[in-house]
Amino acid sequence: MKKTSISEISDLAAQLMGKGALIAPVREEAGFNFREISDAKQVDLNFYNTIISPKSAFFPQTEDFVRYQTGKDILEATPVELNIKPAFLFGVRPCDVKSFEIMDIHFTGTGAVDPYWQKRREAAAIFGYAFDLNTPADGADFYSTLGIGAADPEGSDVFMIKKGDDLLLKAITPKGEKLLAEMSVLSDATPDDLNYFDDTVAAGRAFKTRFTCVEAKPIAKKFEDLFGNTEFWEKVSNACLSCGACTFVCPTCYCFDICDETLFGKGTRRRVWDACMFTDFTLEASGHNPRTKVYQRLRQKVCHKYSYHIRKYGPISCVGCGRCTRACPVNIDIFSIVDEAMKA
Amino acid sequence: MPVEIIKIIDEVDTHDIKSFRLKFLNPEDEAKFKYLPGQFSELSIYGKGESPIGIASSPTQDGYVEFTVQRAGAIFPGLVTAALHDMDEGAKIGLRGPLGNSWPIEFLEKKNIVVVGGGFAFTTLRSLINYMLHKDNRSRFGEITVIYGARTPGLLLYKDELIQWEKRNDIRTVITVDKGDETWTGRQGFVPAVCKDVAPSPANTVAVICGPPIMIKFTLPVFFELGFSKENILTSLEMRMKCGVGKCGRCNVGYKYVCSDGPVFSLAQLEELPRDF
Repeated sequence: MKKTSISEISDLAAQLMGKGALIAPVREEAGFNFREISDAKQVDLNFYNTIISPKSAFFPQTEDFVRYQTGKDILEATPVELNIKPAFLFGVRPCDVKSFEIMDIHFTGTGAVDPYWQKRREAAAIFGYAFDLNTPADGADFYSTLGIGAADPEGSDVFMIKKGDDLLLKAITPKGEKLLAEMSVLSDATPDDLNYFDDTVAAGRAFKTRFTCVEAKPIAKKFEDLFGNTEFWEKVSNACLSCGACTFVCPTCYCFDICDETLFGKGTRRRVWDACMFTDFTLEASGHNPRTKVYQRLRQKVCHKYSYHIRKYGPISCVGCGRCTRACPVNIDIFSIVDEAMKA
Repeated sequence: MPVEIIKIIDEVDTHDIKSFRLKFLNPEDEAKFKYLPGQFSELSIYGKGESPIGIASSPTQDGYVEFTVQRAGAIFPGLVTAALHDMDEGAKIGLRGPLGNSWPIEFLEKKNIVVVGGGFAFTTLRSLINYMLHKDNRSRFGEITVIYGARTPGLLLYKDELIQWEKRNDIRTVITVDKGDETWTGRQGFVPAVCKDVAPSPANTVAVICGPPIMIKFTLPVFFELGFSKENILTSLEMRMKCGVGKCGRCNVGYKYVCSDGPVFSLAQLEELPRDF
């Protein structure tokens, strides 16, 4: 295990930047977000969590596939080369690390493999970062409901825990081991640090966010049974504006659109994030639309995460990060919907 | 895969449904494009987008692949289908596929097949019929009955083939129109009523049904009454699609993606899914 003083974090950042792209939380006007770091001094670990999830590091909001000129021969179109460089995703909270695992099952673990997700994921090392156990969890968070500890190192290549003015860094995978060995700015941790690390991981498992008893299979069945209960869905979606903010900040929402954008004869076919909350998401060319009502779309979002995903892939597709609840302009809270469903 | 439109067939008297015969520009793409009846592909026009369209030709037809496309957009204009309809023979477009599952050929083998189609939804059924009628395949299937209806005689697709099928003695072809015109000498009547009239036996028989929702709604009870089980009634679903490979999250019905788990489902499978289509 290694350590560094938090006041010297920019030295570590600079060393990582020498090896690849460093993507870390950056303080912005509205709050923190993951950005590629251009100046090592930007790295700031005084954040709770980012507004938008770190999924964009592997699944950017727009991904160009092909460029072409309209009216020209199809054979003249040029595929956009996938230019992927090593990346370090620095300061990812345990619940967000868990989200990568859930997305892996969809993008690379089952059926057709998404090369964009796969290659970016392979080229990246994850520096997980424990929540501060001395600060109560944000009221929106409920990751402990989903069995995720506030300091779970699983899924990270390197896991980081703050100890006073120091940052402890422990390698979790061989990739992390190799990386830490190459970081000359780090010093060796003491036996006391090792104990502190293990104690924190254990304490993180006992750390409570909002909690309700949820297990994958029973909740999946519950929502299957609730599907036809229009009264339930109309009640929980009553205030919903269909703005889609919840899906855009979500670490496990993966729906995308493929669209053509042309301007003055130059065109790009690209994929962009899309949201099941929008009316035209399922609008067919014939005019038929199976989800014209707000409650049908909110039902789709909740059932996708807490029922369909479980039936198709196994785990619940939610990590309790609380982002959707914080982002919702009308205070719709997926935890409350799940809680209510369990009681229904 | 780049393809060239080698033939355009104006199918109906309203001129809004055309068949596009496509030839692969790269021979290796043609070799790779192995499909079965019931599958679909994405037709691509740069600057407009992609559209998922069922394959209307049979894999027994060498040298080309055919798609029957309706100019979409009575309510919302369909960019791709409009652009396609405005194209001439010789134009080049993109093809991505084959995608989705197919009519379950192995399950259909050694059984009698009743194909029921309504209107424009006849395209992948036509693929299946031509596949089964091919000389190498005909002996693999029992009796074949086709019940096909359209609103008017002018809206029947594949008129030349229908005439050929009517002449054959190894397929029973029943064509009906909701309302005939002065030249129409065939049946008149809605598909469900004709099914009742034809009354295929459910013994060792699978019904393959595609059509507008209203036709399906009234046809299913006829088949239940005849004694068909839900496992032996097959259909093909439509949903808005983008990627076609189960990744973009758009076309789900419950935990199934229509593009990769479907589009072909038995009625028994559909009953397990939420009514979200």
